[in-house]
Amino acid sequence: MPDANRTVLQGTVDLLILKTLSWGPRHGYAIARWIEETTDDALRIEEGSLYPALYRMQKRGWIKSGWGESDIGKRIRIYSLTPAGRAELRAQSAQWDAMVKAMARVLKPA
Amino acid sequence: MRQLLRTGARLFWRRSVDEEVDDELAAHIEQLVRRLQHQGLSREAAREAALQRFGDLATVRSECRTLAHDLEEQMNRQEFVHQFQQDVSYGVRTLRRAPLFTTIAVLTLAIGIGASTAIFSVVHAVLLRSLPYSESDRVTVIWNSYIQGGSVSRTAIAPPEFADVMDQNRTFDQVAAVGRSTANLSGSCGPGATCEPERVPGYLVSPNLFSLLGASPALGRAFTSSDGARGAEPVVMLSHSLWMRRFGGDSSIIGRAINVSGRLRAVIGVMPAAVRFPDAPIGFLGERGELWFPYSWEASRGEERGNQYLGFLARRKPDASLDQVRVDLATISSRFKSSWPDRYNMTTVTWGLAARPLRDEMVGDIRRPLLVVLGAVLMLMLIACANVAHLSLARGAGRRQEFAVRAALGAGRMRLVRHLLTENLLLGALAGVIGIGIAMVSTRGLVQLDPGMIPQLDATRVDGGVLLFALLATTFCAALVGIVPALRQSSASVHDAIRAGRGGAAQPRRRIRSLLVVAEVAMALVILVGAGLLTRSFLALQRVDQGLNPGPTLTFMVTLPRARYDSSAKMVAFHERLQQRLGAIPGVEAVSAIDPLPLGGSAWSGTFHIEGRPTARGAEPPHGEYNVALPGFIGALGMHLAKGRDFDATDARGAPLVAIVDERMVQKYWPGEDPIGKRISSEGEEGPWATVVGVVRHVYRSGPRNEGEPQMYFAYRQRVQTPLSYVIRTTVDPLSIIRTVRTEVAGLDAELPLARVASMATLESAALARDRFNALMLALFAATALLLAAIGLYGVMAYLVSQRQAEMGIRMALGSGPSDVARLVIGDGMRMALAGIVVGMLASLALARVLDGLLYGIEPTDPITYVVIAAMLALVALFASAVPARRATKADPASALRS
Repeated sequence: MPDANRTVLQGTVDLLILKTLSWGPRHGYAIARWIEETTDDALRIEEGSLYPALYRMQKRGWIKSGWGESDIGKRIRIYSLTPAGRAELRAQSAQWDAMVKAMARVLKPA
Repeated sequence: MRQLLRTGARLFWRRSVDEEVDDELAAHIEQLVRRLQHQGLSREAAREAALQRFGDLATVRSECRTLAHDLEEQMNRQEFVHQFQQDVSYGVRTLRRAPLFTTIAVLTLAIGIGASTAIFSVVHAVLLRSLPYSESDRVTVIWNSYIQGGSVSRTAIAPPEFADVMDQNRTFDQVAAVGRSTANLSGSCGPGATCEPERVPGYLVSPNLFSLLGASPALGRAFTSSDGARGAEPVVMLSHSLWMRRFGGDSSIIGRAINVSGRLRAVIGVMPAAVRFPDAPIGFLGERGELWFPYSWEASRGEERGNQYLGFLARRKPDASLDQVRVDLATISSRFKSSWPDRYNMTTVTWGLAARPLRDEMVGDIRRPLLVVLGAVLMLMLIACANVAHLSLARGAGRRQEFAVRAALGAGRMRLVRHLLTENLLLGALAGVIGIGIAMVSTRGLVQLDPGMIPQLDATRVDGGVLLFALLATTFCAALVGIVPALRQSSASVHDAIRAGRGGAAQPRRRIRSLLVVAEVAMALVILVGAGLLTRSFLALQRVDQGLNPGPTLTFMVTLPRARYDSSAKMVAFHERLQQRLGAIPGVEAVSAIDPLPLGGSAWSGTFHIEGRPTARGAEPPHGEYNVALPGFIGALGMHLAKGRDFDATDARGAPLVAIVDERMVQKYWPGEDPIGKRISSEGEEGPWATVVGVVRHVYRSGPRNEGEPQMYFAYRQRVQTPLSYVIRTTVDPLSIIRTVRTEVAGLDAELPLARVASMATLESAALARDRFNALMLALFAATALLLAAIGLYGVMAYLVSQRQAEMGIRMALGSGPSDVARLVIGDGMRMALAGIVVGMLASLALARVLDGLLYGIEPTDPITYVVIAAMLALVALFASAVPARRATKADPASALRS
C-alpha cells in the first residue's frame, strides 16, 4: 500500500495531467512517467487512476485525444491540451498557489 | 429487420469502444512491465509490481468503459451539431452568393408569413376566441320578430312579454332583461377630487344578468336577487374602463356612494376589463356598457304591451337544444296570439318570438367579411409558397452539377437533403424574423381601422401559435419543394449529371414551373377581383346622396335632468338661450338641434296616423321614423328643403302643431298630391293633428346601406323631451371651438354634461367604417398578391431566359433580330399569364358569390371590374417578361455558342 502522505489528493491529478500536457501531447504511460520523474517520485499516484481522469477531462473539453504510435510501435491514444484546458491550467495553478501561501502562513512557526 | 440491424450495430459499436479502453490499459501495463524488467526484475515479479503500481485494474476498467461510452455519445452529438453548423455556414455562403434569389425568396416568405399572421390574428380574436362569458354558448337573445313580405324585422321586448316568457318557458334555466339607461355622472371622482360631469352609457339589468352570462366582478360583489327590488338600497356596478378613467382604479371605491343622474348609488363591484356588456351591438343595445344598475323587470309586467324597449337574454338548460327552444317559444307565441289577437295576430304581418344565439348577434355580420379575408390570406400564402417553390426548383436545376460533385466527393444522400433542408430553414428563419415585424405592424394597423363596432378586435394580439403556424407552413412547403430536386439529383448518376452540364434543364420541371406561374396568376386575379368589387362597392356607397351635407360641423348631446328641469317651459327656455349663446361664438355659421342625430347610431321609429285614413282592423298603421328638432335644423345639417319651410319661432307651444316630412313619405302616402297642409298624428286616430309645412329629402340616418323608413320631424317646442343633439356648423375647424362651447353650456348649467362630442365628419366616416375596413383589407391583400405574382413571373422568365441563353445566341447567329428574340420570350411569358388569367376569371366567377351580401350597387359578376383587373394583370405580366426579354436580346452569339 502506498503511504498516505504520498497519495495525491483527488482533483490534484487533473492539475498534474494538465501541467504535463502543457509541454506537449503524450500518451497515458508517458504522462505517468513524466509525473514520476519531475516529482522525483515524491507524489506517487496509482497509475490506473490517471485513466478515468483522462476520460473525464475529455468530456469537459480540457483535453482531446487522437491516435499515434507508442514506443513499441503500437497504435495508441495520444492526449493533448485544448485551449479550454490551457485556461483551466492557469486557473487551477493560481488557485493552488493561493492555497499553498495560505497554508504556509498558517503553519509558519510564530 | 432494421431494428435488428441497429441493435447489432450497437453491440458491435459497444465492443469496439470497450476494446479500445482495454487496449489502452493493457498497453500501459505492458510498458510498465518492460521498464521494471529493464531494472532487473523477473517477468513474473515485474508484472506483479506493475499491477500493484497500477492500482485496482477491474475498477479502473469499468469506470473507464462507462466514461468512454459517455464520451462517445457526446462526440456523436457534437458531430451532429458540427455538421449542422457546417450546413448553416455553407448555406449562408450559398445564399449570399445568390443575393437576388435570397432577397426575393425571403421577402416573399416574409410577406406571406406576416400578412397571413396579421389577418389570422384578427380572425382568431373576433371569430374563434370565445366571448368573455363562460356560458355564452348557451345564451340566446329573444326578439319580437315581424315578417312582412319576406323581410324580417326584430324589435325589442315589452316587460309583460318578458315576464310571461319567464313564467311559461320550459327550456331556459335563467332569463334576464336589459334596458337602456344612459347616466349623468357628476361630483366626486376620488378622495377630494371633483371631475367634469360626464354622460356614459348605462343599462338597467336583471340582477342575474352576469351570472346568466357567466361573468363575475373583478372587484367587489355581484348583484344578488334582492338588488333592484323596490325599496332596496340603490347600487351600481362599474366597468373596468370607467373605474380606471374616472376613479383612478382606486379599489376603495367599493361601498362608496357616487352621484349617478342626481341620485346617490353605492358602488358594489367592478367588472373585469374584458366585460363591456353589450360588448358588441345586440340590436338596439348599441353602446358598450360603463354602468349597470340592477332592476327587477318582472315587476313591470303591468305595463302596456306596446311598450317594447327591453333586450331579452335567455340561457338554455344544458339539455335543451336551440330547436327545442324555438318550439317552446312557438308554443308561447301561439298563447299570446289567442290571448291578445289585436296585438299579435295581424293579417299583413306575421309576428312571433324568435331566438338567436348570442354569438350570432354579436359577431353576426362580421363573419362573412372575415372569412372572405381568410380565403384571400390562404391564397396569398399559396402564392408565396409557389414563388419560393419555383425559385428553388430553378436553383435546384442550376445546381445539378454542384450536387453531383458533392455526391461524388462522398456526401451521402441524407447529407445532401439535410444540407438543403438547412438552407431552406435558414430562408424560413430569416423570413420569419421579418414576417414577425410585418405581422406586428400590420396587426396594429388593422386594429386602428376598427370602426369601433367589430367585437373584440381590440383584443387582437399577434398570436404566437398563429405565427408559428404560418412560419412552419410556408417554410415546410418551401423546404419540401426545395428538397425534390436534391433527391432527384442525388439519385441521378454523377457521370450523367456532370456530362449534361448546364444545358440539362429537364423538360418536366419546366412544365411544373409553368403550371406554378399559371396558378399564381390565377390566384392573384381572384384576390384582385374581390378587392376590385369591394372597392367599387365602397365608392358606390360614398356616392349615395345621404340627404345631408353637414360640412364642418360639431355635434354634442345634452340630456336635461328631470330633477332640475321639471317643466317643458324650463327645457324650452334652456334650449332657446343655448341656441342663442352658441350662435354668437365667432366662427359659427348656424346652430340647431335634433334628436335622434342622423348618423348618431340611434333611431326612433313608430306608427303614426294620417287624417282621414283610419287603419283597418288587423292592418298595420303607417310606420315611420320620428325626429324632433329646433328651428334651423335643415340649414345646420345641410339638408335639402324640397318644398315649404323650416320650423321657425312661431311654431311654439300653443300655436298650431306643425310637422316636416321627407320625400319618401310623400311618395308613399300622397303620391301626386301636394303634401303641404296634410295632417298627421303620432298619438292616435283622433289627433291631435300636426300640419305638414315642409318637405325635405330623405336622410340616410345610419349610413348609405340602410334605406330607412319614411321620416317625419316635429317641432321641439311643441313636443318637449329630455335628450337633444346640437349641430353647430362652423367656418373654422369644428373641434377648435369645443372649449368655448363647453364654457357656454356651463354658463347656463355648470352641472350639465356634454355627451358624444364629435365632428360630423367623424360620424360620417364611422358610418362607412366597416365597408372601408373590408375594402381596405382586401385592397392591401390584392396589392401584395399582385406584387408577389409579378415577382414570381419575373423570376421564372428571368430564369428561363438565362437557361436559354445559348439557344438565343444560336437564333441570333442564324439571323434572328433582337425583336424576334424579345417576341419569343415575351410570348412565352404572356402565354402563361393569359392561361392564368383565364383560369382566374373562371374561379372568380365561381367564388364571387361569396361577396354577395357585402357589395352595394354592384353585381358580383360586374364585367368592368373583371376586364380592368385582367388587363391590369396582363400589363404587369408583360412588364415582368419584358425585362428578361431585353436581357435576352443582349445575348452575345459568340460567347453563347462557345459555352
